[in-house]
Amino acid sequence: MQKLQTGKRPWSFYALSGFFGLFVLFLYGPMSAIYILSFQGPAGGLTFPMRGWSFHWFDALFRQQRTGDFAGAFTRSMILAVMVLLLTVAISVVAGLAFRRRFAGSALVFYLAVASLIMPGLLVGLGVGLTFQTLGVQTKWFASALGAQLTWTLPFGMLIMFAVFSRFDRAYEEAARDLGATNWQIFLWVVLPILFPGMIAVALFGFTLSYDEFPRTLLTSGAANTLPMEIWGMTTNVTSPALYALGSVTTLVSFIAIALALGSIAIIQWRRSRQPVGRKPSTKESE
Amino acid sequence: MKVSPTLASYLQIGPLLLVLLLFFGIPLLVIIAYSFFQFDGLDSIPAFDFVNYIDVLTSEVTLSLYLKTLYYAVVVWAITLLIGFTVAYFLAFHVQSLIWQMALLLLCTVPFWTSNIIRMISWIPFLGRNGIFNNALIGAGITDEPLEFLLFSDFAVIIAYVHLFTLFMIVPIFNAMARIDKALIEAARDGGASAWRIIRDIVVPLSRTGIALGSIFVLTLVMGDFFVVRVMSGSRSASIAMAMSNQIAMVQYPPAAASAVILLIVVSLMVAAILRVVDVRKEIAG
Amino acid sequence: MNPGDRRTAERGSIELAGVTKRFGETAAVRNIDLKIPGGCYCCLLGPSGCGKTTILRMIAGHESPTEGAVLIDGENVVGKPPVERGTAMMFQSYALFPHLSCMDNVAFNLKVRGVGKAGRRARALDMLDRVRMKSFADRLPAQLSGGQQQRIALARSLITNPRVLLLDEPLSALDEFLRLQMRGELRHIQAEFGITFIHVTHTQMEAIALADMVVVMDQGQIEQAASARDVYDRPRTGYVAHFMGGQNVLAGTVTGRQTGTVIIASGKKNITITAPASAPGVGEQFEVAVRRDRVRLSRAPSEAADAGVNGVSGRVAAIEYQGTWLKVSIEDACGEGFVANVPDGEFFADPLTIGDPVIARWDAEQLHYLVTRSVKVAEAAAAAAAD
Repeated sequence: MQKLQTGKRPWSFYALSGFFGLFVLFLYGPMSAIYILSFQGPAGGLTFPMRGWSFHWFDALFRQQRTGDFAGAFTRSMILAVMVLLLTVAISVVAGLAFRRRFAGSALVFYLAVASLIMPGLLVGLGVGLTFQTLGVQTKWFASALGAQLTWTLPFGMLIMFAVFSRFDRAYEEAARDLGATNWQIFLWVVLPILFPGMIAVALFGFTLSYDEFPRTLLTSGAANTLPMEIWGMTTNVTSPALYALGSVTTLVSFIAIALALGSIAIIQWRRSRQPVGRKPSTKESE
Repeated sequence: MKVSPTLASYLQIGPLLLVLLLFFGIPLLVIIAYSFFQFDGLDSIPAFDFVNYIDVLTSEVTLSLYLKTLYYAVVVWAITLLIGFTVAYFLAFHVQSLIWQMALLLLCTVPFWTSNIIRMISWIPFLGRNGIFNNALIGAGITDEPLEFLLFSDFAVIIAYVHLFTLFMIVPIFNAMARIDKALIEAARDGGASAWRIIRDIVVPLSRTGIALGSIFVLTLVMGDFFVVRVMSGSRSASIAMAMSNQIAMVQYPPAAASAVILLIVVSLMVAAILRVVDVRKEIAG
Repeated sequence: MNPGDRRTAERGSIELAGVTKRFGETAAVRNIDLKIPGGCYCCLLGPSGCGKTTILRMIAGHESPTEGAVLIDGENVVGKPPVERGTAMMFQSYALFPHLSCMDNVAFNLKVRGVGKAGRRARALDMLDRVRMKSFADRLPAQLSGGQQQRIALARSLITNPRVLLLDEPLSALDEFLRLQMRGELRHIQAEFGITFIHVTHTQMEAIALADMVVVMDQGQIEQAASARDVYDRPRTGYVAHFMGGQNVLAGTVTGRQTGTVIIASGKKNITITAPASAPGVGEQFEVAVRRDRVRLSRAPSEAADAGVNGVSGRVAAIEYQGTWLKVSIEDACGEGFVANVPDGEFFADPLTIGDPVIARWDAEQLHYLVTRSVKVAEAAAAAAAD
């Protein structure tokens, strides 16, 4: 636990890194088994050993009817995830702006959001489903499921925006105002660009949380399935490695989204670096 | 149009408030309302009847379900706390560079952004009779017969929960630890404290808000889960939420609603108990 | 704006008339009257919480006074947004937009005014050249050092063609060496552009090095507004004398009067001092200042020795070497500490040690009479009654 004085690390460092390594293995190991098994040969079963390598089960996934409406579910999940992404970013950013000031009821809204985060998804789904039923409106994936998913993503977005705004120096806005900018110009040219990496993080949460969301969506998506529901349907009567193929495909989509988001943030941050802002200069001073 | 700052705040908070009220607040009220309805086997009849509550509270099944679910919750909480604390401690105090801290934390977080269900079922080929683990054990000569208890058992359920939810412990605890002034630790070491002393007397108290937050997350997630239990126990075990999901599937809404309300009360009590011990408001507010 | 445009020396004159600013119940500044001539380098000096930043922000337009008027070139600007006042502010953290290059930062005001891209670029580069930062045009603020960032911040403000430039502790975040260097740059730019500079600081030496006019503040009130020389050499009150350093303040109650002198009880001692023209009566408060480098030390037989008129006796408590002079702190000489700054040659001719009894003497001409606390209290009471 000591700072490196002589460059020598204590034994506890190695013990703890070993532990950490095991933990990472614990996290990624089983998933990797799935990815490998999705390339199972046509004669292969649900577990090891591998009987040959093939794309057979990916093929089966895309073609066969009895695996369910994979293509449709996938499309719906993607569209829903994008909608949730956009709404979450817009609503979280604006809410973050609101919370910068004290106003009556701000604590109430905050606790409401936190409660929404903690409430079990099944209950949210039940509530929304019953509400729609009471109103006589059909539950639809793009309406009731959308709303139910937002109760899960918005609190995350709000918390991220809190963290982002707490580091946001109000001096930037004052400087912009001093230079003559209107409120709108300040928002577009100063606030939004600085918030942008945070917004990408919110977008990532919004997309992935929606794309993988299950309990809330189960009871609110109406007649049409989302992808997680398709997966769930396949787990209850698992018959072939096509399920694993589905797992690989859907995880690939998630990884692409993650890579895009983290990559953009990394690029932006690398360009802008950390702000020393006039503090005791390092060796950069060369006047 | 010049808008006053207060009005601007209300307009800006409006969408969030609207969504939360429409899809959380009102549904909650609807559930409470339904819990007082009557159920005749087919339809829900609006009423103000405590029959559902009486049924749930006097049933033995309810008690055993709660005990089972609480058992899972407490065991998972303890394990995730141990692992989460250790990992967070490693990241916060042993990893020197900020970049590595972030990178390793991201490494732990990435699985969170993939499908929970997939991550859960990925344990099946791993723990099964012909699974990787058993084959490895047999291959290494440790056992002759595959270990049956690994899959479709409480063990499997708990492993899956730990796999899915440890991250919820790591992140808040790490955040809290990262805020501890390193000078405190050095001062303690200067004073001759051993590492264990420092952990016990400094790190744990100063990261208690993170521990509380993580505990709240893990406990509520386990208490409210219905699909991990079903799949990983091979439908041999059950939980409160699972029983509820069965009732919902059979359109027994009023009883399900009453169950839901009781579950909510229990979970709220657990959260309130944790908050009584640790004041978390500062932590959330930044 | 060109250096040759300094024809109208009146441009950028500022007047605060009866300005009060309240935050809730507390008044950050109360009933301030101040006149700053155009083209002047003015420093607002005081400790944290004295109100100097509040005044700066009210002139800038980022705060509005609760009462009173703020006039720039004779026109009351209260209620006007910053951009319409002809003022520009440089923030303590510089607040350079982190996502924009230096050139885009400098050109920001031009973009707001709708100047086309080519025109913006040309004028921004020109201004960058004036502050010798042209080669950094495409860099981001995070890639610059503190001093470089300050120049960009200056350029960004100056391109708006202001009459008044307001600087909020611009040098506080820099290290010692850089601070001295940037000090010179600020003075140079002010002289070149002829703009009124209002510079907030809590460092006395910085203020007197830079300013034509120093405004010493405490607890929302102006203690003294005068030239740097006057503030240092002829402080108006005990507070200013203490704050500026370099002075000994002898304060106490008058216990006796003789021809030409008064005797005050200060601490455990009675001190006899040449009286001013309007001598205070017995029982009144009396305060006087003597510069630390204008006292002569000599050894005393004991610490209770009689120092005579215009002298104090005491015991050496501490000695600090400061290069060309030594700071000799004397205790039990008067109510507060007494300090003598002794030139090094003189000191080392007969070095003192801690504990030596000494007498410190000064000439009557070196005395500077201060406005006493009771007078100030009376003034404040009159002001409060007029509210």
